[in-house]
Amino acid sequence: MKYVFQFGIVRDHLPELIHGAWLTLQLSFSAFGLGFALAVVLAFLRDAGPTPVRRAVGAYVELVRNTPFLVQLFIIYFSLPELGIRMEATTAALIGMSLNFAGYATEILRSGIDAVPNPQIEAGHSLGFSRLEIFRHIIVFQALRTVYPALASQFVLLMLGSSIVSAISAEELTGITNTLQSTTFRAFEFYFVATGMYLAMALGARALLHAVYWSAFERGQPTRGAWAR
Amino acid sequence: MKRRQMLLGAAASGAAGVAAMAALSPIGSASAQTPVAPPASPAATAGGTLDRIIKDKKIRITAEVTSPPFGILDKDNQPDGSEIATARQLAKDLGVDLELVQVTSPQRIPALLAGRADVAISSLSITVDRAKTVMFAPPHGALSIVVAGAKGKQIRNAADMAGKKIGLTRATLEEATVPKMAPPGTNIVMFDDIAATMQAMVSGQVDAAGMSAFAAKSVADRNPKANLENKFTVTTAFYAAAVRPGDYDLLQFLRTWVFLNKNNGVLAGIYRKYTEVALIDLPVL
Repeated sequence: MKYVFQFGIVRDHLPELIHGAWLTLQLSFSAFGLGFALAVVLAFLRDAGPTPVRRAVGAYVELVRNTPFLVQLFIIYFSLPELGIRMEATTAALIGMSLNFAGYATEILRSGIDAVPNPQIEAGHSLGFSRLEIFRHIIVFQALRTVYPALASQFVLLMLGSSIVSAISAEELTGITNTLQSTTFRAFEFYFVATGMYLAMALGARALLHAVYWSAFERGQPTRGAWAR
Repeated sequence: MKRRQMLLGAAASGAAGVAAMAALSPIGSASAQTPVAPPASPAATAGGTLDRIIKDKKIRITAEVTSPPFGILDKDNQPDGSEIATARQLAKDLGVDLELVQVTSPQRIPALLAGRADVAISSLSITVDRAKTVMFAPPHGALSIVVAGAKGKQIRNAADMAGKKIGLTRATLEEATVPKMAPPGTNIVMFDDIAATMQAMVSGQVDAAGMSAFAAKSVADRNPKANLENKFTVTTAFYAAAVRPGDYDLLQFLRTWVFLNKNNGVLAGIYRKYTEVALIDLPVL
């Protein structure tokens, strides 16, 4: 059998694909922002909160990291309506991605917090800093610097993982691609182009995050940081 | 100070997403024009697909197991359903082993075209659009597409879908028919498999959903609390086995096979067993 590739049809539907890719980027960056903010709070609570709170945060992190993302999405989109909480697919996708990313990012931040030398924290105590002040002024920046490459990788995973949210009818790049291939039957063409778009978005995101790292941590510093390897 | 710079950087990342987007579209269209070698397919080897099936003593047939009563997983997680039974009967009559290739609904035709399966037997309704990419055998079953929903929803005909959320499954007959009759203002919501569409209907994420009458019956029977009913019939269609373009030897075998099993009542028996409905007269393709 010879398969004849017809990429012309992809060009006709390019605006829809770009629309889908745009939603993918919006979802990914929004989930990154929300999830990261939540992760900083959770990391602080896990480090300095009262014991029941620490345990609760620990349980949340383990729950998120040890259950499938798809099942988490189904619970938000299909099960919450049973409790009267109903939301659009895109909102459910954003919440699911944010909560999922927060779980991984909390764990990543923890490793960065653990890497901050103890004497610095003891110095903070001896200067009369509160736990929050120690976290804000001593720990956070150093921890972020340590874990930034891991967070950036996790972001790319988040963006690529966003393809799953098409299962709950969010019309991001994979959802649009699936609809187009199923109505035009040019599956290979659309999947190839979608693959190229994901690759471009992932490489673009990496370059962007690298630039953020450089401007936040390396500019004006005499030594080269962890990313340079 | 540095922390502030970092926060500013993070805020800029949203805006930079636009730049990433702009960089992306020319790449997308460039790759669209690059000629790509067709993937190697087992069918490309010398000799017909039918010869190969008989020589290897194995036929690979698609199995879509999320659309009752055509394909389901039984209590032991084994594929079952009318189309699975049809596939088993075909393999038995050929005297070869059956390898079921599990596919999702949108993957039925791609899996066939990619050479992962020799025949697609997964309640593929015969449509002109599909006939542009695959070759259909004569129909061996019939199904009606209905729009179903909870009893409280006022949907009596296609025009009533305006302003309602209607769930559909990608790559199905309902996806090909319902949007065409939907009035402006209908909010069509697409899912990847019928299980998700059903779940969306039961949980109230959509007001109504298009699906086969059998699927609607099965979901209504299993969820009495949801108070589901059929709103209106969209169309009645005939489904058939499909083969890759050019596999004429296999297509001719399927023609003969459907002819024989229509006349000896085997196909009607399978249909009745799984749908609990008598098979209507099948037209000839």
